[in-house]
Amino acid sequence: MSWIVRMIVVLPALAGLLGLVMHRRRLVAAAVAVSVSAYVMVLGLIQWVAPARAADIDSLGSLPLGGGLAVPLHLLSDRVSGLVSFVVALVVLAIQVFTVWYLRDDPRYGRFAATVSLFAAGMLLLVQAGDLVLMLVGWEIMGWCSWLLIGHDSERPAARRAAYKAFLVTRVADIGMVVGLVALAVRAGSTDLMAVLTASGHDTALTVGLVGVLVGVAGKSGLVPFHDWLPDAMEGPTPASALIHAATMVAAGTYLVARLFTLYAEHDGARLLLAVLAALTMVYAAVLALVQTDIKRMLAYSTLSQIAIMLSALAAAPAELGPGAGLSHLLGHAFFKALLFLAAGWLSVLGGATALAALRGRLRPTGALRWATGIGLASLAGVPPLVGFFSKDTVIDAALEGTGAGSVVVTIALLLTVALTAAYCTRAWLLLDTPLAVVPPTGTAAGPAAGAADPAPGSAAASPAVSPAASPAVSPVAQPDPVVPAEQVAVVTVADSADDAEVERVHAHGHAPITLSAALVVSVLAVLTVVATLFLASLRGGVHVGVLTALVSLLLVAGAAAAVWVAGDRGRSDVADRVPGPLRDRAVRGFGADTAYVGIGRAVTALARLVVTLDRDVVDAYPRATAVVARAAGRVGERSHRAVPSLSLLGLLGGVVVIAILGVTAWR
Amino acid sequence: MIHLALPGALVALLAGIGVYGVLARRNAVLVLIGVELILNAANLLLVTAGSRPGAPFSAGPVLTLFVITIAAAEITVALAIILVLFRRAGHIDLTAVPDLTDDPDDPDDPGDLDDEVESWGTPDGADDGTDDGTDEADDADGTAAPTAARSGEGAA
Amino acid sequence: MTTRDIVFVAVGVVTALSALLSVTTKHVVHAALWLLVSLGSLAGAYLVLGQELVGLVQLLVYVGAIVVLVLFALMLTRAPIGPHAEIDTPWWQRAAGAVLGAATTALLASLLLPLLSGATVDLDAPAATTPRIAQAVFGTWVWPFELLSVLLLVALVGAFAVSRLVLHREDPAADGAVRRAEGVRR
Repeated sequence: MSWIVRMIVVLPALAGLLGLVMHRRRLVAAAVAVSVSAYVMVLGLIQWVAPARAADIDSLGSLPLGGGLAVPLHLLSDRVSGLVSFVVALVVLAIQVFTVWYLRDDPRYGRFAATVSLFAAGMLLLVQAGDLVLMLVGWEIMGWCSWLLIGHDSERPAARRAAYKAFLVTRVADIGMVVGLVALAVRAGSTDLMAVLTASGHDTALTVGLVGVLVGVAGKSGLVPFHDWLPDAMEGPTPASALIHAATMVAAGTYLVARLFTLYAEHDGARLLLAVLAALTMVYAAVLALVQTDIKRMLAYSTLSQIAIMLSALAAAPAELGPGAGLSHLLGHAFFKALLFLAAGWLSVLGGATALAALRGRLRPTGALRWATGIGLASLAGVPPLVGFFSKDTVIDAALEGTGAGSVVVTIALLLTVALTAAYCTRAWLLLDTPLAVVPPTGTAAGPAAGAADPAPGSAAASPAVSPAASPAVSPVAQPDPVVPAEQVAVVTVADSADDAEVERVHAHGHAPITLSAALVVSVLAVLTVVATLFLASLRGGVHVGVLTALVSLLLVAGAAAAVWVAGDRGRSDVADRVPGPLRDRAVRGFGADTAYVGIGRAVTALARLVVTLDRDVVDAYPRATAVVARAAGRVGERSHRAVPSLSLLGLLGGVVVIAILGVTAWR
Repeated sequence: MIHLALPGALVALLAGIGVYGVLARRNAVLVLIGVELILNAANLLLVTAGSRPGAPFSAGPVLTLFVITIAAAEITVALAIILVLFRRAGHIDLTAVPDLTDDPDDPDDPGDLDDEVESWGTPDGADDGTDDGTDEADDADGTAAPTAARSGEGAA
Repeated sequence: MTTRDIVFVAVGVVTALSALLSVTTKHVVHAALWLLVSLGSLAGAYLVLGQELVGLVQLLVYVGAIVVLVLFALMLTRAPIGPHAEIDTPWWQRAAGAVLGAATTALLASLLLPLLSGATVDLDAPAATTPRIAQAVFGTWVWPFELLSVLLLVALVGAFAVSRLVLHREDPAADGAVRRAEGVRR
């Protein structure tokens, strides 16, 4: 059994290395990436299905640190890690297959595939880790790889900026993570997960550890106040977005908290903090998702909301229920979010854009894609037979069973979010599916987005060659001051396409008919979204739907969908256009969170400059002054030295004699 | 039986004459003669003091021998320097204003010895065996930098 | 006033006079020759003081080597033959030198004469005979003695290095000629 666990971690890393070596040979790189992903998926399946025992602990060989700290580097294999690693490997395989088609014209495909493999290795290491150090290693590998993936189109300033933003924001939050893990390890005297979970005493270290880990989780999982990097991360290629959002980096925080669940269940303060953050994030992100103009950014905000739902399950569920509810939503979300992102990527290739305005009605003529998108959105909204319904209701049920202030906050936020999620899913479906020919010109309803909608009918109905006409028509409205350097401005522009690289690619190469394998992957994911509930049944507390909660959430979903249906005039107009223009503009830009980040960064830089200035101009002034004085004295001495030799001799001997006279008279 | 006041007086005389010799001559070699006289005054004083009964370790005559040896070393180096000075300036007149400016911050200074010096007249690889030793000697004297030697070789 | 006193006074007068001449003569070469006389008679003074080893070394090293070196240096620096007024510094510097020299003499005399006024030494049974000096050199003083040999070596190499410094300013044309000659030799 243990060799399987090791292979699951090591193989993707080796594939990443091999892919990096072979990155110029496209076929080899693709073969390595896909075959290793498939193999790892099979291994994950075996690990999930096979274990006879409850948990299987294996060690990579302990780290002899001394100092009373044991670092055994255990790998922990149980049913949870088996299931999660299987799902992760499955999603990674789907993404690898899809990427072969999606990045068909990208000269740097090999590097991308290798990075995805390494990313998967990081996530699988985190999943299999039974040791805080290994968890941290996987965590950091993912952080670094996300920087590489988001910044894949590094020739575009927006992508570079998004990559740096993601890296810096998560890095700042990782300070909390490192501090937290260190505190937990110090408390237990060991980094072994079991020892950490069973350690007792040291309440301060426990609080610091749990809150610190929460801060790190908030950074990677995009809880408020760290949420703004995630929508910007849409600058990466769509498969990278799918990878980051579906099952890996963003969800890793949930997995980590679930692993530490017994500690959190005992600590009300940390749980309350988590509950408040999660509740805030899920409602806020769902509201923002409702008004987004870009399908990828909408999906990004929905991810924020869904991750907050997972974490809220962990924050509110009673201790005896365990982390099953959160984990089941993690797994269900992995399926349908991967499906939605890959479908969005497919759609963007067809439509030549990712802006909703440009994609209106593009779904109608497609077959499998329409079905897949429909299933994905329905699952996201929580329509009954799909996995989204079960996992979400399990979370609601767990929150209802919880006690304390946290569970109340979470329950209210969950119900709100259910309605909002249904609303934005309905809006997206209506916008994408309603044929444009029926849409009457909406006129100058409100805001720049409405202006963007105007040229859309003509361009979308025509060939994609027309759609660049839509983008320039929109961009001047939304562009910030052009004098500002590109690196300084927020990348968000209303009705702008997030994945510009893909748009350019489509414009440069035209449509590429989707390959059978890529289409097959999307279809398989769609099927899995339907049947994945069976997977969750194997998880303790994975599916637990009460009748009452199911009824309530069904009513909420139906009501919200109907409201959007009516308000949007059966999809003939965009619901979000009813929001006043300036407000919507600001909402699309995330209410200035980016500016706040820049402000914080500037403040820190200014502080650092101040410290440097103090150090250089005040503290160092004294040593440098001695140097200056010594140098000046040396100059003076040198000048006076440079005299006529005979005169110098005269002066020298005169001085000697004078000193001798003084000495002799004094001696007398 | 001898009165030691007599050699004492001779010591004082020789030292004073030496001081005058150092100050009265503008020829550098003749200045060295004054220095030699002062040294000899010191030697004589050592011998005189060593002649007194009870001087331990035979310090007087032994130290005199040492000083003589050191004087030989000193005058060898001094004469070498005088020769270089003569070759550079064309005279060894100590009352002339020297153009020996060695401002380390001014590489363009025409009088900078470091820049002007080309260590070893034969800048080819023929005498590689001796190059190392001379470089050490140059460094010991502090008059020639290795960079100057490299630049000289590059020029050649 | 013993016999040795008288002999010493005679030798000392010769020494002092020749030293004075060597620093005042207008002939450059004569200065070196008067130095020769002065140092030689100083060796005699050492003999009178009973230090025959020191006196012989003085003869060997000073008279035999150093004065010869000085003469060589004078020749290599194209010293003029015959009386030459230009070898002395201006009169006021010489006056200052005379004052300083007199001051030195007065200082040393005022220090040494009282110190040594009553001191006499019987040289018929000298305290430091040559065998004893040899024992001291190779016993008590052996490490300074060995260091001296190192010093001599360093001085030798240093003098060699310094004297072979070639200066660009010296004569570019001649330098070039030397280089060309070397090139031909190569």
